[in-house]
Amino acid sequence: MSFVVKESVEVIAQCIGITNLSPEVAEALGPDVEYRIREIIQEAVKCMRHSKRTVLTGDDVDSALRLRNVEPTYGFTSNDAPRFKRAAGHKDLFYIDEKDLEFKDVMDAPLPRAPPETSVIAHWLAVEGVQPAIPENPPVEAASEGTRFEYKDDGISADGSLSVKHVVTKELQLYYEKVRELAFKKPNSMIFKEALQSLATDSGLQPLVPFFVSSIADEVSKNLTKIQLLFALVRVVRSLLHNPHIHIEPYLHQLMPSLVTCVVTRQLGNHVSDNHWELRNMSASSMASICKRYGHAYQNLQPRVVRTLLHAFLDPNNSLPQHYGAVRGLAGLGPTAVRMFILPNLEPYMQLIKAEIAHDNLKNYSKKLEAWRVYRALMCAAGMCMYERLKLLPNLFSPPSRAIWKNTRKVATVLPNKRRASSDNLLPQPPQKKPAIEANPMVRPMGGSMQMSHMPMSSMQVAGASGTMTNPGVMGMGRLVHHEGVQGRDPRNLAARSSSVLAQAWKETVNAGQVLESLFDHFGESMFCFTVKPELSIFL
Amino acid sequence: MEEEEIEKLVTAYLKKRGFKDAELAFQEELHRHPKNASASAGAAAAAGGSGALSDPDVAKLVQLFSESKSVPEQYHDGYGRLRSWAHDSLDLYKHELLRVLYPVFIHCFMDLIAQGHLHEARIFFNSFRDDHAMMHSGDLLKLEGVLSPSHLEEMEFAHYLRNTKATIKICQYSYELLLQYLHKTQSFTMLGIINERINFQVSPGQPTSLSDDVGVETIFTTDDATKINPKEIQWGLLEDSLEDRFEKGAFSPLEADKGEGEAKEAEQDDNKKRSGEGKQGNAIKKSKKDKAAAAAVKNSRTEANTVSTAPRVKAELTLPVMSTEVEQSILEDLRNRVQLSSTALPSVSFYTFVNTHNGLNCSTISQDGSLVAGGFSDSSLKVWDMAKLGQQSAVLQGENDMNNGEHAGPLGGRRSYSLYQGHSGPIHAVTFSPLGDFILSSSADSTVRLWSTKLNANLVCYKGHNYPVWDVQFSPVGHYFASASHDRTARVWSMDRIQPLRIMAGHLSDVDCVQWHPNCNYIATGSSDKTVRLWDVASGECLRIFVGHRSVILSLAISPDGRYMASGDEDGTIMVWDLSSGRCITPLMGHASCVWTLGYSCEGTLLASGSADCSVRLWDVTTSTKTPRNEEKSGSTGRLRSLKTLLTKSTPVYTLQFSRRNLLFAAGALSKGA
Repeated sequence: MSFVVKESVEVIAQCIGITNLSPEVAEALGPDVEYRIREIIQEAVKCMRHSKRTVLTGDDVDSALRLRNVEPTYGFTSNDAPRFKRAAGHKDLFYIDEKDLEFKDVMDAPLPRAPPETSVIAHWLAVEGVQPAIPENPPVEAASEGTRFEYKDDGISADGSLSVKHVVTKELQLYYEKVRELAFKKPNSMIFKEALQSLATDSGLQPLVPFFVSSIADEVSKNLTKIQLLFALVRVVRSLLHNPHIHIEPYLHQLMPSLVTCVVTRQLGNHVSDNHWELRNMSASSMASICKRYGHAYQNLQPRVVRTLLHAFLDPNNSLPQHYGAVRGLAGLGPTAVRMFILPNLEPYMQLIKAEIAHDNLKNYSKKLEAWRVYRALMCAAGMCMYERLKLLPNLFSPPSRAIWKNTRKVATVLPNKRRASSDNLLPQPPQKKPAIEANPMVRPMGGSMQMSHMPMSSMQVAGASGTMTNPGVMGMGRLVHHEGVQGRDPRNLAARSSSVLAQAWKETVNAGQVLESLFDHFGESMFCFTVKPELSIFL
Repeated sequence: MEEEEIEKLVTAYLKKRGFKDAELAFQEELHRHPKNASASAGAAAAAGGSGALSDPDVAKLVQLFSESKSVPEQYHDGYGRLRSWAHDSLDLYKHELLRVLYPVFIHCFMDLIAQGHLHEARIFFNSFRDDHAMMHSGDLLKLEGVLSPSHLEEMEFAHYLRNTKATIKICQYSYELLLQYLHKTQSFTMLGIINERINFQVSPGQPTSLSDDVGVETIFTTDDATKINPKEIQWGLLEDSLEDRFEKGAFSPLEADKGEGEAKEAEQDDNKKRSGEGKQGNAIKKSKKDKAAAAAVKNSRTEANTVSTAPRVKAELTLPVMSTEVEQSILEDLRNRVQLSSTALPSVSFYTFVNTHNGLNCSTISQDGSLVAGGFSDSSLKVWDMAKLGQQSAVLQGENDMNNGEHAGPLGGRRSYSLYQGHSGPIHAVTFSPLGDFILSSSADSTVRLWSTKLNANLVCYKGHNYPVWDVQFSPVGHYFASASHDRTARVWSMDRIQPLRIMAGHLSDVDCVQWHPNCNYIATGSSDKTVRLWDVASGECLRIFVGHRSVILSLAISPDGRYMASGDEDGTIMVWDLSSGRCITPLMGHASCVWTLGYSCEGTLLASGSADCSVRLWDVTTSTKTPRNEEKSGSTGRLRSLKTLLTKSTPVYTLQFSRRNLLFAAGALSKGA
């Protein structure tokens, strides 16, 4: 009946040298021992509570014994809770595994290091109720439980279709079903266009957004071969994005992967004739518009997109359509993205492309076409970028003159070598390149500074030339004026005066020059159409 | 009743009681004189006048004696049947009838023990304990250990249970149902227990609703509580408090300009002007911590302040006089106070103790957050000056240590804290005086010691308790303090006397925590007997008993307007009480483990709680306290309002404290196990 059985009492009695213990006494002692143990434990738990702990230690038991005026059991004190082992074959029997120690070993052992001194560290657990994301605070994911609870308080549920179901009216359900059906069955019909129009303007669609988003995510991943359906789905996304009444931010994380898939996946559609290029273009532009709209609120949105695209772009094993998508995607993100991520890798990539284009094999004809498309996409991207640059530097197209073929030539021979050097070791190991790119903050004012930083001196020298070098475009127009000597010396003097402002300005100029120069190298005269015509600037 | 039956019953009775000879004799006699026997029976009946044997009660009794099995079985079966009957009863009355089961259960158990049926008692206990495990697990654990009649005598709890009648509120109809059942089934054992141990408060009309069922735990104590709780208390704030004057000054600056106010108001106005310059100088020092303060201070002043609406009362104690400088600094704080509400949450500055090696027992933070003290299990008390810590000026610290006669630390006296040694047992509580110039520590060596932070020395040792002192708290005005001990008393002391001024005795178990009412006329104590009591400091009388917690009470806080009290227990439940009515307004559930500490924000809108589950939670107590209880029976969610859970990185929260500017300070020891 008691946990302490008669036999235990007898064994303990023998241990302490009492041999003539009568069975009745043993039997009576058992329950009493149990009662005393419980009493001690109860007191020990009190001591534990008042030491603000939730684990009972030997110290607590000692304190409890002292409270009862009993000699404590010495030798069981430790700052950590004892580690119990379960006795094999018993469900609820535990013991402490203690090793025998050689006394000599203990004596000979070097003194342990003094424990570090107790200290106090202060940090902000919350600032006006919001936990700052600092290492002293636990990661935010852990706290999400609480936030979810508070969501419910407001009657809005961010996830969980169950509670949303209450809100979705019958009409909305019908609407949703209809749109879905149209997207599947008649993606080219007039009525689907009407539906898209409605999606883009209707103000009462918020309850349906989670359904649309999750269905799009599902369907895109399932139906990569059905190009028509994909078109329809991307159009739906575009309409949803256009709708000013829809609050789509909470669902972006679901939406983005589908879009990125449509941009850079290996194969879209199952026919050669399928116009997956157009689909890529459309998805890329949707993606770009998302980044533009929400990039400020979600700092890591654009970097993540860029990283994915760059992966697709830099991997030579990827197919050309993938490269195409990546280029279009990056171009969509604006000239800064192009300058930072495409231009540095342009040189090696052009070789790749040119090799493809040069293939005059009939078998590879389709591939050649693909390569041409990528080439054109690159050209567009680079051209837009250059256009933006040139627009910023009005002084560059002041006198329609200056550049001399010889000069550019000289620089051109220097520069590409440099570039090649840096980009050559870049291409074989794209993964190594990645960190460098990531480390580069998106908002860096000058994309070209990567090369610049290599050799500031030489670039300053080049600066003189490159100031003039910007005008291959102009040169094409046949205006060659031998100004380079003067132009070249001038900046050097300026630099010598160490006017940092001017140096900065010149760096810009140099960059633009370099950019244009190398682009010209790659794309030839077709680049000219992207230069700002001085004639046009008259009207500005 | 047929005579033959009676004969049979008599035989059965004799057989059962082991009267073999008598049985044989009886049977022989029966066989020999069958007629005679019946005749004698008839004669007996006649002699009884109205026929004693035909009296149904007597017959039942006889029957009972014959039927009855062994005593333990009576208890076991009787209780078992009562239980299944209660469970099968009408839904409307079920919960009331179920309430009867628990006292019956424990008394059955104790009866069995008392009669020496130890084994049977254990079987009985184990077979029915699950019914009550949820509500009364603590009691069951205690009772489980009772294994002999002598334990019953020895154990306070059991003793108490035996000597108190449980009080159960029950409606008329349920009561009749119960009586009917008991008589019909003739379970006299149960009837006996119920008559002897339970005091029914029969109320006419409908049964109380289930949600009103706070009284489950109260069964054994409401007796006292109902006697005590109607006493009147003045929960208002002290009249002419600094806040009061501040409010007046803030709302009517013109008045003060006219000079019709007293000198103090003029002085305060002066302060205001001065604060213009003072702010810049002071701001540099404090701006970091109170940057939130400055932003919100202007627009929020006009909001209704709960504190200001509280009635005013006179102080019963002689209060210490406050110096003008202190007054000014407090006024400065009040001016810079951030108004907190459910939408404007406080900033929390967290102090983490590292490398404590599980030795930190308690900690406390001074009112302005500049000093942090920790009490350790190795009897030492360590105080960190956070302002100095920031400046890295350890030199001064080292000198202080030398003054104190301490050895320099291992790193050439570069210790970051001042060490106070003097106790001879683990320190269980530390408290700063309101101005931060004194520290009190209570220890397992049953003493309380007063330390000066200026001198870094022990000033007084207060001996009086006989057992470990679990908690000590300075009064809001300083000078007085209260201590709570394992010896089941709480004591009120003043700094200048080594004997206690008052001894509050009445708790049935350890007094675990103590807290002052803002007007200093009352103290509240929380105990291991799961009740909170409110005591009058002047008379030493117990004025309120708050019953409802299901486990040991670990922390208390009283709202700044003096009207509400929050108490946190070992299970993580926090209860908010109305002091005047003595009733629980709402339980706040959410913590998973011991609630070590509670704190009200300065205007009483938020309650912060720190727990062993490594979190600080913020609760909106305005919604829960404004709506009266009976309006919330519809089950609106406004009743439970957890505003925010701030998780720490495996750091149980030992203490927290709102500064006068409403910045929340919290502290805890980093523990790997947690």
